[in-house]
Amino acid sequence: MTAVQLKGVRKDFGNFTAISNIDLDIKSGELVALLGPSGCGKTTTLRMIAGLEVPSAGQICFDGEDVSEVAVQKRNVGMVFQRYALFPHMTVEKNVMFGLKVRGIDKADIDKRLTEILDVVQLQDFRHRFPAQLSGGQMQRVAIARTLITNPSVLMMDEPLANLDTKLRGEMRRFIRELQQRLGITTIFVTHDQIEAMELADRVAVIFDGNLAQYDAPDALYKRPNSIEIADFMGATNVFEASISGKTATAVFGALTLQDTVPDGQAQLMLRGEAIDLHLDEITDEPNILQGKITAREFFGANITYSVECGGETIQVIEQSRRMVEIDQPVWLTIPPERIWIIQDNP
Amino acid sequence: MPETKELARHRRERIWMWIQLMPVMTVLVVLFGGALVLGVAQSLGFAPWFGVNTFPDFSYFAALWGDVFFWKSLGLTLYYAIVATLLSLVFGILLALALVRTFPSKTLYKYLYKLPLMIPYTVGIALAVIMLGNGGMLSRLMAFTGFIDDPSQFPQILKTHMGWGIIAVYVWKQTPFVALTIYAVLLGVGRETEEAAAILGANKRQIFFQVTLPQILPGIISSTLIIFAFNIGAFEAPFILGGGFPDTLPVVAWRYFNDADYTLQLQGMATVVSIALVAGVILYSYLAFYRRYERRIGRN
Ligand SMILES: Nc1ncnc2c1ncn2[C@@H]1O[C@H](COP(=O)(O)OP(=O)(O)O)[C@@H](O)[C@H]1O
Ligand SMILES: [Mg+2]
Repeated sequence: MTAVQLKGVRKDFGNFTAISNIDLDIKSGELVALLGPSGCGKTTTLRMIAGLEVPSAGQICFDGEDVSEVAVQKRNVGMVFQRYALFPHMTVEKNVMFGLKVRGIDKADIDKRLTEILDVVQLQDFRHRFPAQLSGGQMQRVAIARTLITNPSVLMMDEPLANLDTKLRGEMRRFIRELQQRLGITTIFVTHDQIEAMELADRVAVIFDGNLAQYDAPDALYKRPNSIEIADFMGATNVFEASISGKTATAVFGALTLQDTVPDGQAQLMLRGEAIDLHLDEITDEPNILQGKITAREFFGANITYSVECGGETIQVIEQSRRMVEIDQPVWLTIPPERIWIIQDNP
Repeated sequence: MPETKELARHRRERIWMWIQLMPVMTVLVVLFGGALVLGVAQSLGFAPWFGVNTFPDFSYFAALWGDVFFWKSLGLTLYYAIVATLLSLVFGILLALALVRTFPSKTLYKYLYKLPLMIPYTVGIALAVIMLGNGGMLSRLMAFTGFIDDPSQFPQILKTHMGWGIIAVYVWKQTPFVALTIYAVLLGVGRETEEAAAILGANKRQIFFQVTLPQILPGIISSTLIIFAFNIGAFEAPFILGGGFPDTLPVVAWRYFNDADYTLQLQGMATVVSIALVAGVILYSYLAFYRRYERRIGRN
């Protein structure tokens, strides 16, 4: 398999800079998500790796070798386009065989691999249909089969789940994950959905405005975002101003003890709703106890989100819906020191 | 009972649709259909206003088709039409492919290439006379630069049966038309299937013939039909730039219509009907051929 490296890559369209400067290291066999809001340059990054766009500066390396001079046709990458880009005038099997046919592989070989790959994507029954006669999920599987049949060394997918309905999305996600693990193929996929990125990827590269903002494993990104913007994008709801002194962070609602020492000064304090425990009786024997009152309740089926007012601030607490706590109920919150994350001004 | 209501509503809708179509239908049926019927009838000997009425009489066709020069004229007509259509198609497709790529001063080219579409045919013919004739601009330029000693040595482009002048005018006028049609189709098709093909390992030729061409084929078919039908019936260019007798069929028909002997009008009408027949047969076969191709790739 192939390791992919982006070194100081930049892309200008005329005098508009789509990608300012990206360094990215993707290990062989890794599944990496490019995550960011619409227009941040995710598709452009994929297109540069595929060779459809030429970087304005920097290098793209496969296994340490610069591929800038290698033509699209020779890069041996696979790409599943956001709108699939199937050939509308070819049946499913002709679409899938295309990559082998243009390479001049002999007929018997093509037929064998076609059968194999159609089994993998479960499209045997649809081989004589045209793309216009398929559902979104089926079209996507055709696009994946068409790519995989050429044994690409890097597989790229642009928003693979965005156009599918909720049920199909779950199915497709498992399908992609299993396929990737079975084949061990280096895979890069683009998404603007943080949940999707966390569920699927080994590592997530967050891109804001053409810059790499953070590149980390999903849980690190979720628990320890290195800026407010990332925390925000990753769906953090409890972010408060705090002043740090030693191992104590003091916010409007009170002082919290931290696990590790961080530099003194002003900072942002982030609490994840599900890391906070909600008690109905007074607690005294734990660190970081806050007293408050429930002001609102949102029911999401498996979970409930409570808004708890503590000393003038509202803290969101997420709990499994084993019980329902009534509004106006006085409560005590406890927060484990290791689950408090401090974001300090860009170090 | 509710079914009856439904039917009544549908009937009302259908009647309304016919009422809306009426004006166009009337024009088509009365003007076009009427003229067609009259033309065919006249070619078969029905012209009481000239004091001729031998309907049905196939002698005009017999006389026409029995003449070897009719077949020579037909050959010339088809030759100019086919060569010009093919050249316009090739140039037009190449131009359209170039126009979807980005290149410097593209906006300017996008206006420039449409210019011939707005200039009348007759002006184009006049331009051909000025540029390509013996004693025209090109010949003088070549004499001036010393390629030839005298403008009269310039190769005969106009007024020969090779028809380079006629073909040049057709191509000059129709290349932009083809380009315009194909360009619109290409914009609809987008670049993504071509890019997908490139990533899958296809080279430029494979991409064009296996991915792009099949997708723009409907545009090619319709523009071919339009320009070929025009070329086979066009009159001014072969009349002014052609090589004289034997003329193309439209010119032959014109000569009959203008003859002092007005009974030759019937002969002229037979010529016109022959052109229509030939054009009809060719266009129909072309479409049938395309349908066969569509069925072969499995589309219905
Ligand atoms: N060919 C192009 N010409 C000009 N601007 C482009 C081109 N492709 C992309 N852009 C711009 O670059 C930015 C990033 O685009 P893209 O990579 O498609 O974003 P996304 O993260 O949504 O996939 C956008 O502002 C887009 O308008
Ligand atoms: Mg995109």
